[in-house]
Amino acid sequence: MDDNRTPKAQSSDQKKQNDQYGGRWLPEKSSSPARKKSRLPLLAQAGPVSLWMVLFVTLPLLFIIYVSFMTRGTFGGIEYRFSVGSYETIMDPMYFTVILKSFRVAAVTTGLCLLFGYPLAYYIARKPQETASRLIMLLMIPFWTNGMMRLNAWMLFFQVNGPVNYLLTHFGLTEKPVMFLYTDWLVNVGLFTNMLPFAVLPMYSSIEKLQKSLLEASFDLGAGPAKTFLKITLPLTFPGIFSAIILTFIPALGTYTVTDMLGGGKVLYIGNIIKNQFGAIRNWPLGAALSVLLLVITALLIFLYSRFAGLEDMEVV
Amino acid sequence: MKKAMALGLSLVMGLGMLAGTASAVSAEETELNIYMWGDYISDDLISGFEEANGCKVNLSFMSDNADAVNKLTAGAGSDYDLIMTCDAYMESLIAGGYLEELDISKVPNAEANLNKAYWTEDIHNYCVPYLMNYIYVVYNKETCPLEEITCYNDLIKPELAGQIGSVDGARNLFPIALVALGYDPNSREEAEIKEAYEWLTQYNANVLAYGSTEQNMVSGAVSVMFTYDGNTAWAMDQMGEDNPLVIAPFTEDPVQLGMDLYVMPKGAEHQELAYKFLDYICDPEVMAANLVEFPYSCPNDAAVEAASDEYKNSPAFDFDYKTNIFFQEDVGDALPIYDQYYQMLKVG
Repeated sequence: MDDNRTPKAQSSDQKKQNDQYGGRWLPEKSSSPARKKSRLPLLAQAGPVSLWMVLFVTLPLLFIIYVSFMTRGTFGGIEYRFSVGSYETIMDPMYFTVILKSFRVAAVTTGLCLLFGYPLAYYIARKPQETASRLIMLLMIPFWTNGMMRLNAWMLFFQVNGPVNYLLTHFGLTEKPVMFLYTDWLVNVGLFTNMLPFAVLPMYSSIEKLQKSLLEASFDLGAGPAKTFLKITLPLTFPGIFSAIILTFIPALGTYTVTDMLGGGKVLYIGNIIKNQFGAIRNWPLGAALSVLLLVITALLIFLYSRFAGLEDMEVV
Repeated sequence: MKKAMALGLSLVMGLGMLAGTASAVSAEETELNIYMWGDYISDDLISGFEEANGCKVNLSFMSDNADAVNKLTAGAGSDYDLIMTCDAYMESLIAGGYLEELDISKVPNAEANLNKAYWTEDIHNYCVPYLMNYIYVVYNKETCPLEEITCYNDLIKPELAGQIGSVDGARNLFPIALVALGYDPNSREEAEIKEAYEWLTQYNANVLAYGSTEQNMVSGAVSVMFTYDGNTAWAMDQMGEDNPLVIAPFTEDPVQLGMDLYVMPKGAEHQELAYKFLDYICDPEVMAANLVEFPYSCPNDAAVEAASDEYKNSPAFDFDYKTNIFFQEDVGDALPIYDQYYQMLKVG
């Protein structure tokens, strides 16, 4: 499945070295004329995805932008009358506070995912192939169940008369049951467990590629484990870390189910507010405008990322 | 390895997408399409109707009252034959021409059994009421920090910080604040709604969580709940006989009585079957059986009469201010004002 570790990959042959660094994915410099003419493979490979993206991503996005400039009907729904009212509304500092709060929770989630995800990814990547596959499988298995079920499980686990509190009081660690539910803490736990695989997989892929010989060289030249990690391992696995950040931060920023359920609908983040505009509050244009705002922020982040890290280095499995 | 992982990832994503796809419903002559609250009608009732009429009933579920209104105002006749909504929206829905006027002679069971105090003249020709909910205050007499709760203003006392489990929604929360302040619960005055908003910020500080009130009461997370009678019945049942739950003995403040009713969207395609269904649910025996599973208040007097003793004697309905009620009325153009302040409340 993976030829990185087969003996032949370790030969000194230049072409195979290229393979090892993923060079086989780069376009070949001297492509034959016949290859240039044939568009069919290109269409077959990229066509369906492109069509899918245009139909289900680009067009809906354009529609969202369009709706954000419309007017709210008394009953909710959309009145097709041009207005910048929604954008005036989101200038309210109230929304700024919410976005800041959402950033904080997304940042904490991302931080936790890196903190716990990196060692885990490292551990898995250093295991023999077969064990590594099994460990990755273990990481994915919880995701075979419905997300709501997983959140409900957390709630049952931590509720006042749940198992955690039973153990705590049973062993006399606390006198009264601890109120875990509906705290920021539990929201963070929920987000963290939901996002962890998306942080571990790209980092795993990065670490797995890391050549052992480089580490050996570093040791041979007198660097200790800490120095080797900081000077060799970390910089070489940055692409994986960066994609882990993107893959966890952005979904965490827009999430609403986790915060709705584990936060008790009391503390609202930007995702909840957008969701409410399409449900209870019935202000679709405002919801669309907030989505556009979130989109702009996300795009800005990716832009900054690409400036600093170089998008071509992004490691997504 | 990579392939396996890619497969794993795509599986996860694929499953996520599947969860998001709506169920497609094909309309045939023998099908009846209903849009309503989930977990709110007995499966036996539905299968009984299907057998009696040789048809298939397709139920789709809403997650908010707004969903039903959105569907109705967008023109839902081609998709649904019956939609559940509540009394608060009836005036605008009728005025907007979104509903079919019903031929009540085709639902004789409704005419014979439904209490006209609830099925009032102004909505009589456009809907058939299903079940009702009192939204009242219940507390656990063993754990509640207050001796007694006798009015809405008790709910904003600082002793109750983090003790309340509450139902959500602008049109459920604002009326109690308006009542507490001595205003019309269906006020259309912005100044009054703003004051109610300020009252609610104090209430909000005492609320532990919105939604799942009955679970939170049973698990002991909250000691007070502002909730529906049906939820209370469930919680009392879960906590067993001699449960410590008390329906707050309100002295003066009225409580909200909300009514869920079926309407027929303009241009509904299976009207004959829809009439049969409406008549079927108004049959006293059928509704009485339904009440076993869904022990809410019921506007069908004959069904309540035929219902089990357990239902009739349910402690969830055992309070003495049943007639001191207010209804959620349609507030028309003031709705966006409510929504705006509700938003401010929730953003905090």
